[in-house]
Amino acid sequence: MFDLLTSYTLFSLSTVMGFVALATLLHLQFGLAGIVNFGVVGFWGLGMYAFGVLLIQFEVPYPLAMLLAVAIVAAVSLLIGWVIVDLNDQAVLVATLAFGTIVTSLVTTEKWLTEGVVGLGSVPYPVETGDGALWQFVVLTAVTAAIVIYAARIAKTPYGRLLAAKRDNEPLARGLGKNTSRHKLTIFVITCALMGFVGTLSAPVHRFLTPDLIGPGVTFSAWIALIVGGKRHPLGGVLGVALTIFVFDFVIETYVPVPSEHAATVTVIKTIVYGVTLIVALMFRPLGLLGPGRKRGSR
Amino acid sequence: MGDTIEVNGLRKSYGGRVVNEIPRLTLSEHRIEGLIGPNGAGKTTLMSLITGRIRPDTGSVRLLRDGAAIEITGMSLNRVARLGVVRTNQKIQDFESLTIEDSMLLSLATDRDEGPGRLFGERDFRERCDPIIADYVAAMKFADRSAHALSAGEKKLLDIVRCLLLEPKILLMDEPTVGLPTEQTDEVMALVSRVAERQDMKVVIIEHDLDLIWKVCEHVHFMADGQILLHGTPEEVRTNRLVRDKYMGESHA
Ligand SMILES: Nc1ncnc2c1ncn2[C@@H]1O[C@H](COP(=O)(O)OP(=O)(O)O)[C@@H](O)[C@H]1O
Ligand SMILES: [Mg+2]
Repeated sequence: MFDLLTSYTLFSLSTVMGFVALATLLHLQFGLAGIVNFGVVGFWGLGMYAFGVLLIQFEVPYPLAMLLAVAIVAAVSLLIGWVIVDLNDQAVLVATLAFGTIVTSLVTTEKWLTEGVVGLGSVPYPVETGDGALWQFVVLTAVTAAIVIYAARIAKTPYGRLLAAKRDNEPLARGLGKNTSRHKLTIFVITCALMGFVGTLSAPVHRFLTPDLIGPGVTFSAWIALIVGGKRHPLGGVLGVALTIFVFDFVIETYVPVPSEHAATVTVIKTIVYGVTLIVALMFRPLGLLGPGRKRGSR
Repeated sequence: MGDTIEVNGLRKSYGGRVVNEIPRLTLSEHRIEGLIGPNGAGKTTLMSLITGRIRPDTGSVRLLRDGAAIEITGMSLNRVARLGVVRTNQKIQDFESLTIEDSMLLSLATDRDEGPGRLFGERDFRERCDPIIADYVAAMKFADRSAHALSAGEKKLLDIVRCLLLEPKILLMDEPTVGLPTEQTDEVMALVSRVAERQDMKVVIIEHDLDLIWKVCEHVHFMADGQILLHGTPEEVRTNRLVRDKYMGESHA
């Protein structure tokens, strides 16, 4: 019984940690650089599936499969970034959203590679001793912490100011000689590749890869968490995930005894609460809990 | 003798209406030049064409430097700025999340300082920049450099400072005194002249405050209806019939 709880706990915590990483990467993309990436799940899911397929279908060695998967995500994001780099926000939103959807549907239809809805299994932990799940959680936490620390540091460097300036007023930044297109592309590719990397780390956590793991809900959860927590703050993703995904997917699912006939209701309530939280946050704290409050008289 | 800008066969139209039509023009042969003309003459458009903010329909803009001609038509705004041709904005522009100091640090950062992997040089960089920033904060009388520019005047000053910090070779100033308190315009122009001397920078000023133009410019271009109609010394332009009729006659007498 205790063992079961532990492995379930680790699974939930690893999932939550993955979301912290994604939300923080989204902070770098959107909160700092102003790139409206609505295809988070595409980059994460591509990393996860590319890794799984290479490992299982092609029997590529574990570390090499991870490396190749991240390289694939980097290459794809370079291509997408190149297309969207000088488009306006709406176009970027639509293009990235479409990309996410394409990844999901390809994973469903290309059964010869991914086994479709049957599921691709099973992705092992890198070390298949008894502590595999624990180590995976530790690694995910370390990677997430590194991303958060990076986000906190980069904001206070010339590069961070450059990205903020680009987000605030791109033509003005270009008038000061800043090659905003190049920098946008760089930060986009780096952060998307890292989303893919988080995907490779999430693969063994889920073990069986199915298309329902990579639905648009992943993107929306990361966005809601970041907006609630504070898009401009490096800890916005951490706080936001703690208040949303952590509460529902961990605290309630683990510790609140919900009779099985009501399990579906919890999911519905979750969606409603997410929506309400988002609206309340946007009304009273447009920059999130860690952002400054709404100024009197401002828009 | 420094850089000059040469414009050839430049033409720009919006929806069939020609707003710039300049067969030939050389700018910044003198240290400080003026570009005057009524509203809608096409002065701002000309500066946008030069800096690469917008593209001409036809024609070319070249930067003459050390006897060589650099074609800057079609170059991106940021490349033209890196070549040393920079302009201050007529309309008030700012980075809303950057403080006055951040804005100045942004200008002072070079390509080498800016990169996703540069996590550690910040303290050295700030130390290097501090005396320069302190000078400008004092000269422009910014109350608090760690605050945001609040008033229109402060934003306008900051816009000018950001450009000066780039140490441009040619500074184009689009109506610098609009939004500035009168007592500050003299100080700002004095500062710009000083920097121009010290850093071997040329300046082209668009202004409706003609007293300022006559006072600081060595050479003045007069523009109306998208065309450059006249150049000359301030005295020549000031006393010209055409300028009086088309411009000063109205409200600027
Ligand atoms: N983006 C634009 N679209 C359409 N018309 C424009 C645009 N920019 C400028 N114009 C027109 O071009 C003319 C010249 O404008 P401008 O260069 O701003 O004049 P000035 O700076 O001398 O007052 C004006 O009649 C203006 O309405
Ligand atoms: Mg104008």
